[in-house]
Amino acid sequence: MADKEKTKKFINRLKSRNIVRPMVNKMYAEGVTAANEGRPLAWSMVNWWEGDIVMRAMGVTPVYPENYGTVCASTGMAQKYQAICDAEGFPTHLCGYSRNHIGYAAEMKKLGKIPPDAPLGGMAEPTFMLGSGIACDTRFKWFQALRQYYDVPVWTIDTPSYDHTEDIDSDIHEHNIRHKVKELERFIEFLENLLGKKIDMDLVEDYLENQEKVFQLWWEINELRKAKPCPMHSRDFWTLMVPGYYMTYDKDALNLYHQVYEEVKARTDAGIGAVTPEKYRLMFAELPPWHSLDFFEKLAERGWNFVVESQGYHPPEPMSLKTGDSVLERLTRWTYWVNVGHIRKAKEKNYPLFGPVQYYYNWAREYQVDGFITHSLLSCRTATFWLPHAANILKEELLVPSMNMEGDIVDFTVFDPDLVLKNAEAFEESMDYHRGERKRKGLEW
Amino acid sequence: MTTASLHGFAKARKIYEDRGLRARELKAEGKKIMGYYCSYPPLELITGMDFVPFRVQGSINEAITKADSSIPTIVCPIIRSSLDMAMKGKYDFMEGFVTAHSCDCQEKFCRIWEHELKLPFHHYIDMPHVVRENSFEQFKEKLIMFQKAMEAYTGRALDRERIQQEIRVHNRQRALVRKLYDLRKENPPLLSGAENLEIMIALMCMPIEEGSIMLEEIIQEALSRGNGPGEKDTRLMLWGSPLTETNLIQMIESLNAHVVMDDICVGTRHYWADVEATSDPMDGIVKRYLSEIKCPRTFRESSSTFEEEMESRFGYLKDFARDWHVDGILLQSVKYCDTHGYEVPALKAYFEKIGLPAMYLEHEYTMAAEAQLKNRVEAFLEIIA
Amino acid sequence: MKGKYFAGIDIGSTMTKVIIYSEGIRGQVIGPTGPEHRHLANIVMEDALAQARIPFEAVDYVVATGYGRINVPFADKQITEISCHARGVLHFFPNAGTVIDIGGQDAKGIKIANNRVVDFVMNDKCAAGTGRFLEVIAETLGVNIKDMGPLSLKARNKVKISSICTIFAEQEVVSQLSEGIPVEDIIAGLHEAIAGRAFRMASKLKIEGDVVFTGGVAKNTGMVKALESHLGRPVYICREPLITGAMGAALLGKELVEKAMESGKAIKIKERKLTTARVF
Ligand SMILES: Nc1ncnc2c1ncn2[C@@H]1O[C@H](COP(=O)(O)OP(=O)(O)O)[C@@H](O)[C@H]1O
Ligand code: SF4
Repeated sequence: MADKEKTKKFINRLKSRNIVRPMVNKMYAEGVTAANEGRPLAWSMVNWWEGDIVMRAMGVTPVYPENYGTVCASTGMAQKYQAICDAEGFPTHLCGYSRNHIGYAAEMKKLGKIPPDAPLGGMAEPTFMLGSGIACDTRFKWFQALRQYYDVPVWTIDTPSYDHTEDIDSDIHEHNIRHKVKELERFIEFLENLLGKKIDMDLVEDYLENQEKVFQLWWEINELRKAKPCPMHSRDFWTLMVPGYYMTYDKDALNLYHQVYEEVKARTDAGIGAVTPEKYRLMFAELPPWHSLDFFEKLAERGWNFVVESQGYHPPEPMSLKTGDSVLERLTRWTYWVNVGHIRKAKEKNYPLFGPVQYYYNWAREYQVDGFITHSLLSCRTATFWLPHAANILKEELLVPSMNMEGDIVDFTVFDPDLVLKNAEAFEESMDYHRGERKRKGLEW
Repeated sequence: MTTASLHGFAKARKIYEDRGLRARELKAEGKKIMGYYCSYPPLELITGMDFVPFRVQGSINEAITKADSSIPTIVCPIIRSSLDMAMKGKYDFMEGFVTAHSCDCQEKFCRIWEHELKLPFHHYIDMPHVVRENSFEQFKEKLIMFQKAMEAYTGRALDRERIQQEIRVHNRQRALVRKLYDLRKENPPLLSGAENLEIMIALMCMPIEEGSIMLEEIIQEALSRGNGPGEKDTRLMLWGSPLTETNLIQMIESLNAHVVMDDICVGTRHYWADVEATSDPMDGIVKRYLSEIKCPRTFRESSSTFEEEMESRFGYLKDFARDWHVDGILLQSVKYCDTHGYEVPALKAYFEKIGLPAMYLEHEYTMAAEAQLKNRVEAFLEIIA
Repeated sequence: MKGKYFAGIDIGSTMTKVIIYSEGIRGQVIGPTGPEHRHLANIVMEDALAQARIPFEAVDYVVATGYGRINVPFADKQITEISCHARGVLHFFPNAGTVIDIGGQDAKGIKIANNRVVDFVMNDKCAAGTGRFLEVIAETLGVNIKDMGPLSLKARNKVKISSICTIFAEQEVVSQLSEGIPVEDIIAGLHEAIAGRAFRMASKLKIEGDVVFTGGVAKNTGMVKALESHLGRPVYICREPLITGAMGAALLGKELVEKAMESGKAIKIKERKLTTARVF
């Protein structure tokens, strides 16, 4: 917010993160240019890469309304768009990103053009919309509902629910992959019919190769963060996740992660942390308060370093690819893997199994965290649902305490930084106490 | 008191008022009770394994005191209430619990349930959201997994003939339910909306064949009793999220209106479609549960235009409204339900197009705001009149 | 309908209003519903009857509306305030398309087409955005509620009130006062916030036709101005904005009687006895 006082900086941010902003701007500009030049434009849900590469290979430029939600939230425009969405008769408890975007779309429809005050140049009218079955119901209901405004085809790539078979060797995983491949094949058929051309699988493979390199580097960067002190703060993760999410096909993304890797590696070798002194190592779940990120500076001032976060946004860990896989199999295997890799990891390390909250368990041990900060979101059930359960498990199993802060991804009036800071002091006592308890019980940290 | 001496309406009322009553009796007789959630776990497979299915619903009358330590308060209150009741031991007669991927909240809540309750048997049925050819294959695979899990648990195999037999038993009940609904095509209806919901809920808390006998008794009683619900000016259809108690309908029917038809999963959604006879009976089951149940949790392939899409998504409601002589539609949902929430503006637009008044009513799964809801319904009835 | 009398009584959370109608308004009384008067709806009625110079027995039909309508034992029929406000507004403004009503404890929007209510929206869940909210703040500021409107028109820099909850907004106001911000700027900010809420609510109806602003809060000139600036068009106000509900009730009663006479059906009426009305 403009009227906010300048906060003093205590987080040692990465220099290389500065490359990201122009990339994001480019992403939005490309969307508008594509529409102006009459090239196909998609409004797309985050689909964990499988749909993106296929669309790119078909010459489609995707833009991502969920990401636009974060943009509008941090520029203050979201309130206006959400009010429009409410006026359209959508219930107010729905996902903040979706309310923002539905309001935006209704406004654009009314004006007959991109609203002149739309942040980052706005998102032009789409050729089609791509929903996703991954993560929550909102992500396909939202576009289905938007068809009332933009009568363009709506496609949804469906997905199995990943985490419910804890037996990593079960046949069901291969079956699920086959299903996902079929989903991609159907999607390609849809695109070919819509755009009247054939897909170039070689191009898909080129993009995929770039993507696999991005994954590798991005994964290694996050591995380096296990070092004490942790060389990279969650704030940099949240900045850097955007290209790793939306632009993995792009050589620029690869170049970015090279530079980030070098910087983080150098810090690790020199024993430089993102917060000095690193008094507490924290894990953050799930989505941050985009509009109040500066608030982490205040916590850094207290020696809180955020070392791992946002499980839904991390890259898949490296896996050995099956020889004989088709390009589509290989592509979708990554999307699948990012969701089940933690189960395999648990098996390899002989950890107990905790279903969908396995991530947090694994990470708490691997990153040796002192505390778990949960951010319950007023308008996102999916990112909030597991939090109390995960907190219970971490406390019971690993003696890692947690602190909840209430907020929202878009509506910043819900978030009360002063209250959190007040609670932070008491939470430090709890973290100190549990540190002792862990020692007593013989845990690794 | 036992249910043995009760019949028809009286029996439905008794079981509605004490949902676990029949289940506890059966358990004492040595029967095994399988809890399930929503309308998606295929009941044919459950009864085929000699389990008595019991629909877990939660209750609007029970304050949530235990579940909040495991589930956040911004999720579906029906789900919160269900877990809360379970944690308080209200479903302690259940041997197992099955959920399906009906909605995102259910996918998540079943794992918390498993962690907190640790019943001898737990199963989650992964289920596609989209209906296309490969979705059917995928769903079939997951149902076979479910069948195998129950077989492994009980040590007994479920064969084709038995599944076919179960399909007949369930289809018979579905036919009886449709017959029951026919009684409300009359004017005045022979059954009130509140009575109907009571019966639906009772049916889901008792063995299928016993429920069918009860249905036959009720139909006879309703046809022969003189004191039906009487004349009223307005006939309403109710759409939306599940109702676990009759109070909302009772409130509506305390005004000058009958609820004569519904599109909720403790009503038509649960019973309307039959399972088709197919050579592999699982194929019929797959088709019915994936594509014949009309719930907003399902994404149907989009047709060429929005108009056509609305017709294919909502056309059945037009048919209901015509056949049941409906004057207006009450769209209702609990707060925090996403699948129903996103549907509302399109539905309102659809009803406007076909010239039926519709109003959206959102409630928070408590009757605390009943006066305000009632005021809205009254105003809506005045608009229709 | 010569020589026939119709009464409309609107029992709101703060005010009770009565209209006696017979080819024009014969009696019109507004009295508080307030704590000590809660059971005195019959007294307001008696005042109105005295104005009209008729005994209660002479009234042909009585319609009650408002939140307290169920508790009026001498009414022949209860009708919601939605229908009554709309009817009352149409009497004064035949071209009305949208009604925005902000009363003591709720705010509502009503859409009218072809002389009928076609849709409505309501906020009755919390005090924020209602007249009650303004009363609470007026008290905090030590300002008479009647002076809020004129004072706010003097504002130079209206403040931004970010809280939507009455209690938090009150705290916000207190802290702004202590910062030395002029009272009129604070009041103007409050009006802005409430008008914004009402506008967003009414937008759900896709505002069309003339907009009429009713309810006690329409007496507040500052609110009228704030609402107009949100709407981007003028709003119409009745000479007595409190009275539309009772007016509509009387007129709807008249129409019911007329319809019954046309069709030759008898219409049920209560015994004409003014018993105490227990409102709460
Ligand atoms: N003269 C006035 N000037 C400004 N505001 C007023 C005035 N009279 C009443 N009000 C406002 O109107 C509200 C009452 O409105 P009313 O429509 O009578 O509500 P209800 O119908 O719920 O009783 C009060 O809370 C107050 O804020
Ligand atoms: S009411 Fe909605 S959120 Fe609740 S279980 Fe049903 S579909 Fe899910």
